Amino acid sequence: MNKVWKQSGPYEEGAFPFNFPQGMAGFPEANNFGVTYSGRGDIACMQSMDHPEAAFLVTPWDEDRLGNAPSLTQDQASCLALEPNRFPFWMLVLNPFADNAWVTANLRAPVAINMEARIGVQCIQTDPGLELRYHWIPQPGQAC
Amino acid sequence: MMVLKRKIGQSFHLGDNIRITIVDVQNGRHVRFGIEAPAEVPVHRMEIYELIQNENKAASNGNALAWFNGNMEMRDE
Repeated sequence: MNKVWKQSGPYEEGAFPFNFPQGMAGFPEANNFGVTYSGRGDIACMQSMDHPEAAFLVTPWDEDRLGNAPSLTQDQASCLALEPNRFPFWMLVLNPFADNAWVTANLRAPVAINMEARIGVQCIQTDPGLELRYHWIPQPGQAC
Repeated sequence: MMVLKRKIGQSFHLGDNIRITIVDVQNGRHVRFGIEAPAEVPVHRMEIYELIQNENKAASNGNALAWFNGNMEMRDE
Protein backbone atom coordinates (compact mmCIF):
# COMPACT_ATOMS: atom_id res chain seq x y z
CA MET A 1 0.00 0.00 0.00
CA ASN A 2 2.81 2.32 0.83
CA LYS A 3 3.99 1.80 -2.72
CA VAL A 4 0.69 3.23 -3.99
CA TRP A 5 1.25 6.46 -2.12
CA LYS A 6 4.78 6.81 -3.35
CA GLN A 7 3.81 6.10 -6.94
CA SER A 8 1.20 8.81 -6.71
CA GLY A 9 3.94 11.30 -5.96
CA PRO A 10 2.48 14.39 -4.33
CA TYR A 11 2.00 12.92 -0.87
CA GLU A 12 5.70 12.52 -0.33
CA GLU A 13 6.28 16.20 0.00
CA GLY A 14 4.05 17.18 2.93
CA ALA A 15 0.83 19.15 2.64
CA PHE A 16 -0.67 20.03 -0.76
CA PRO A 17 -3.81 21.97 -1.65
CA PHE A 18 -6.54 20.27 -3.61
CA ASN A 19 -9.68 21.96 -4.91
CA PHE A 20 -13.03 20.25 -4.33
CA PRO A 21 -15.52 22.28 -6.40
CA GLN A 22 -18.48 20.47 -4.80
CA GLY A 23 -16.98 20.35 -1.34
CA MET A 24 -17.59 17.13 0.57
CA ALA A 25 -21.12 15.93 1.37
CA GLY A 26 -22.14 17.80 4.51
CA PHE A 27 -19.39 20.37 3.96
CA PRO A 28 -20.34 22.04 0.67
CA GLU A 29 -18.29 25.17 1.38
CA ALA A 30 -15.11 23.29 2.17
CA ASN A 31 -13.49 23.63 -1.23
CA ASN A 32 -9.77 23.74 -0.60
CA PHE A 33 -8.08 20.89 1.19
CA GLY A 34 -4.55 20.37 2.33
CA VAL A 35 -3.32 16.82 2.61
CA THR A 36 -0.94 15.86 5.38
CA TYR A 37 1.01 12.68 5.01
CA SER A 38 3.67 11.63 7.46
CA GLY A 39 5.67 9.85 4.78
CA ARG A 40 4.95 6.49 6.33
CA GLY A 41 1.99 4.14 6.31
CA ASP A 42 -1.04 4.30 4.08
CA ILE A 43 -3.28 6.89 5.74
CA ALA A 44 -3.24 10.62 5.09
CA CYS A 45 -5.30 13.43 6.62
CA MET A 46 -7.19 15.77 4.32
CA GLN A 47 -8.26 19.01 6.03
CA SER A 48 -10.22 21.94 4.66
CA MET A 49 -8.35 25.21 4.59
CA ASP A 50 -11.67 27.09 4.52
CA HIS A 51 -13.43 25.11 7.22
CA PRO A 52 -10.86 23.31 9.39
CA GLU A 53 -13.58 21.31 11.12
CA ALA A 54 -13.85 19.36 7.87
CA ALA A 55 -10.97 16.93 8.19
CA PHE A 56 -10.93 13.38 6.89
CA LEU A 57 -8.64 10.42 7.07
CA VAL A 58 -8.14 8.96 3.62
CA THR A 59 -6.40 5.94 2.20
CA PRO A 60 -5.93 4.71 -1.37
CA TRP A 61 -8.51 2.40 -2.93
CA ASP A 62 -7.12 -1.12 -2.61
CA GLU A 63 -7.90 -3.21 -5.69
CA ASP A 64 -6.64 -6.38 -4.03
CA ARG A 65 -9.33 -6.08 -1.38
CA LEU A 66 -12.11 -4.27 -3.20
CA GLY A 67 -11.72 -5.02 -6.88
CA ASN A 68 -11.69 -2.33 -9.50
CA ALA A 69 -12.27 1.26 -8.50
CA PRO A 70 -15.62 2.76 -9.51
CA SER A 71 -16.22 4.35 -12.87
CA LEU A 72 -16.72 8.07 -13.15
CA THR A 73 -19.91 9.54 -14.53
CA GLN A 74 -19.55 12.06 -17.31
CA ASP A 75 -20.34 14.90 -14.90
CA GLN A 76 -17.77 13.69 -12.39
CA ALA A 77 -15.08 13.42 -15.07
CA SER A 78 -15.99 16.88 -16.27
CA CYS A 79 -15.85 18.29 -12.75
CA LEU A 80 -12.42 16.72 -12.29
CA ALA A 81 -11.24 18.27 -15.58
CA LEU A 82 -9.95 14.84 -16.41
CA GLU A 83 -8.55 14.46 -19.91
CA PRO A 84 -9.80 11.56 -22.05
CA ASN A 85 -8.19 8.20 -21.25
CA ARG A 86 -6.82 9.48 -17.95
CA PHE A 87 -7.87 7.93 -14.67
CA PRO A 88 -8.31 9.52 -11.26
CA PHE A 89 -6.52 8.46 -8.11
CA TRP A 90 -9.19 6.91 -5.88
CA MET A 91 -9.25 7.26 -2.12
CA LEU A 92 -11.53 6.04 0.61
CA VAL A 93 -12.75 8.17 3.49
CA LEU A 94 -12.02 6.44 6.78
CA ASN A 95 -14.01 6.76 9.97
CA PRO A 96 -12.00 6.04 13.12
CA PHE A 97 -14.82 7.10 15.44
CA ALA A 98 -17.71 4.78 14.56
CA ASP A 99 -16.42 1.47 15.88
CA ASN A 100 -14.33 0.74 18.94
CA ALA A 101 -12.51 -2.13 17.29
CA TRP A 102 -12.24 -1.03 13.68
CA VAL A 103 -11.39 1.95 11.56
CA THR A 104 -14.10 1.79 8.90
CA ALA A 105 -14.01 2.81 5.24
CA ASN A 106 -16.90 4.36 3.36
CA LEU A 107 -17.28 2.40 0.13
CA ARG A 108 -20.44 4.32 -0.79
CA ALA A 109 -18.64 7.62 -1.34
CA PRO A 110 -15.00 7.34 -2.37
CA VAL A 111 -13.02 10.37 -3.44
CA ALA A 112 -11.60 10.71 -6.95
CA ILE A 113 -8.62 12.98 -7.44
CA ASN A 114 -7.14 14.40 -10.59
CA MET A 115 -3.57 14.54 -9.35
CA GLU A 116 -2.31 16.73 -12.16
CA ALA A 117 -5.03 19.36 -11.86
CA ARG A 118 -5.30 18.92 -8.06
CA ILE A 119 -9.08 18.63 -8.24
CA GLY A 120 -11.13 16.23 -6.15
CA VAL A 121 -14.73 15.02 -6.13
CA GLN A 122 -16.51 12.80 -3.65
CA CYS A 123 -18.32 10.31 -5.89
CA ILE A 124 -21.47 8.97 -4.25
CA GLN A 125 -22.29 5.49 -5.50
CA THR A 126 -25.88 4.37 -5.95
CA ASP A 127 -25.22 0.66 -5.35
CA PRO A 128 -26.93 -0.07 -2.01
CA GLY A 129 -24.74 -3.17 -1.59
CA LEU A 130 -21.64 -1.07 -0.93
CA GLU A 131 -20.83 -0.79 2.74
CA LEU A 132 -20.91 2.53 4.51
CA ARG A 133 -18.70 1.21 7.31
CA TYR A 134 -16.48 -1.47 5.85
CA HIS A 135 -14.02 -2.84 8.41
CA TRP A 136 -10.75 -1.50 7.07
CA ILE A 137 -8.09 -1.87 9.74
CA PRO A 138 -8.23 -2.65 13.44
CA GLN A 139 -8.09 0.38 15.69
CA PRO A 140 -4.49 1.13 16.66
CA GLY A 141 -3.73 -0.70 19.85
CA GLN A 142 -6.32 -3.39 19.15
CA ALA A 143 -5.15 -6.98 18.80
CA CYS A 144 -5.58 -8.27 15.22
CA MET B 1 -41.65 25.70 1.01
CA MET B 2 -42.51 26.99 -2.42
CA VAL B 3 -44.95 24.75 -4.27
CA LEU B 4 -45.23 24.89 -8.06
CA LYS B 5 -47.71 23.15 -10.32
CA ARG B 6 -46.20 21.87 -13.59
CA LYS B 7 -47.38 19.60 -16.42
CA ILE B 8 -45.35 16.87 -18.10
CA GLY B 9 -42.76 18.49 -20.35
CA GLN B 10 -42.78 21.77 -18.43
CA SER B 11 -39.77 22.99 -16.51
CA PHE B 12 -38.68 25.33 -13.81
CA HIS B 13 -35.37 26.97 -13.05
CA LEU B 14 -33.27 27.18 -9.94
CA GLY B 15 -31.17 30.27 -10.54
CA ASP B 16 -29.64 30.74 -13.96
CA ASN B 17 -27.95 27.40 -14.37
CA ILE B 18 -30.25 24.67 -13.13
CA ARG B 19 -33.32 23.55 -15.04
CA ILE B 20 -35.66 20.83 -13.87
CA THR B 21 -38.16 19.28 -16.26
CA ILE B 22 -41.06 17.00 -15.45
CA VAL B 23 -40.45 14.04 -17.75
CA ASP B 24 -43.16 11.65 -16.74
CA VAL B 25 -45.68 10.77 -14.05
CA GLN B 26 -46.20 7.05 -13.61
CA ASN B 27 -49.38 5.66 -12.09
CA GLY B 28 -50.02 9.02 -10.51
CA ARG B 29 -47.39 8.19 -7.90
CA HIS B 30 -43.90 8.36 -9.35
CA VAL B 31 -42.55 11.51 -10.94
CA ARG B 32 -39.53 11.41 -13.24
CA PHE B 33 -37.46 14.57 -13.37
CA GLY B 34 -34.87 15.64 -15.89
CA ILE B 35 -32.22 17.77 -14.24
CA GLU B 36 -29.81 19.97 -16.14
CA ALA B 37 -27.15 21.44 -13.91
CA PRO B 38 -23.47 22.41 -14.14
CA ALA B 39 -21.05 19.55 -13.49
CA GLU B 40 -19.94 21.14 -10.24
CA VAL B 41 -23.46 20.95 -8.81
CA PRO B 42 -23.96 17.53 -7.23
CA VAL B 43 -27.37 15.94 -7.77
CA HIS B 44 -28.34 12.98 -5.62
CA ARG B 45 -31.40 11.32 -4.19
CA MET B 46 -32.01 12.91 -0.81
CA GLU B 47 -31.90 9.74 1.28
CA ILE B 48 -28.53 8.72 -0.17
CA TYR B 49 -27.05 12.18 0.13
CA GLU B 50 -28.16 12.49 3.75
CA LEU B 51 -26.60 9.12 4.50
CA ILE B 52 -23.25 10.29 3.12
CA GLN B 53 -23.54 13.70 4.81
CA ASN B 54 -24.05 12.02 8.16
CA GLU B 55 -21.19 9.59 7.62
CA ASN B 56 -18.84 12.39 6.58
CA LYS B 57 -19.74 14.33 9.71
CA ALA B 58 -19.19 11.25 11.85
CA ALA B 59 -15.85 10.58 10.15
CA SER B 60 -14.68 14.15 10.49
CA ASN B 61 -16.02 14.74 13.97
CA GLY B 62 -13.62 17.68 14.41
CA ASN B 63 -10.96 15.25 15.57
CA ALA B 64 -9.64 13.47 12.50
CA LEU B 65 -6.39 15.42 12.47
CA ALA B 66 -5.85 14.76 16.17
CA TRP B 67 -6.50 11.05 15.56
CA PHE B 68 -4.01 11.11 12.69
CA ASN B 69 -1.35 12.85 14.74
CA GLY B 70 -1.92 10.57 17.70
CA ASN B 71 -2.04 7.25 15.92
CA MET B 72 -0.14 7.14 12.68
CA GLU B 73 3.33 7.07 14.21
CA MET B 74 2.17 4.25 16.46
CA ARG B 75 0.88 2.20 13.50
CA ASP B 76 4.14 2.46 11.63
CA GLU B 77 6.37 1.38 14.45
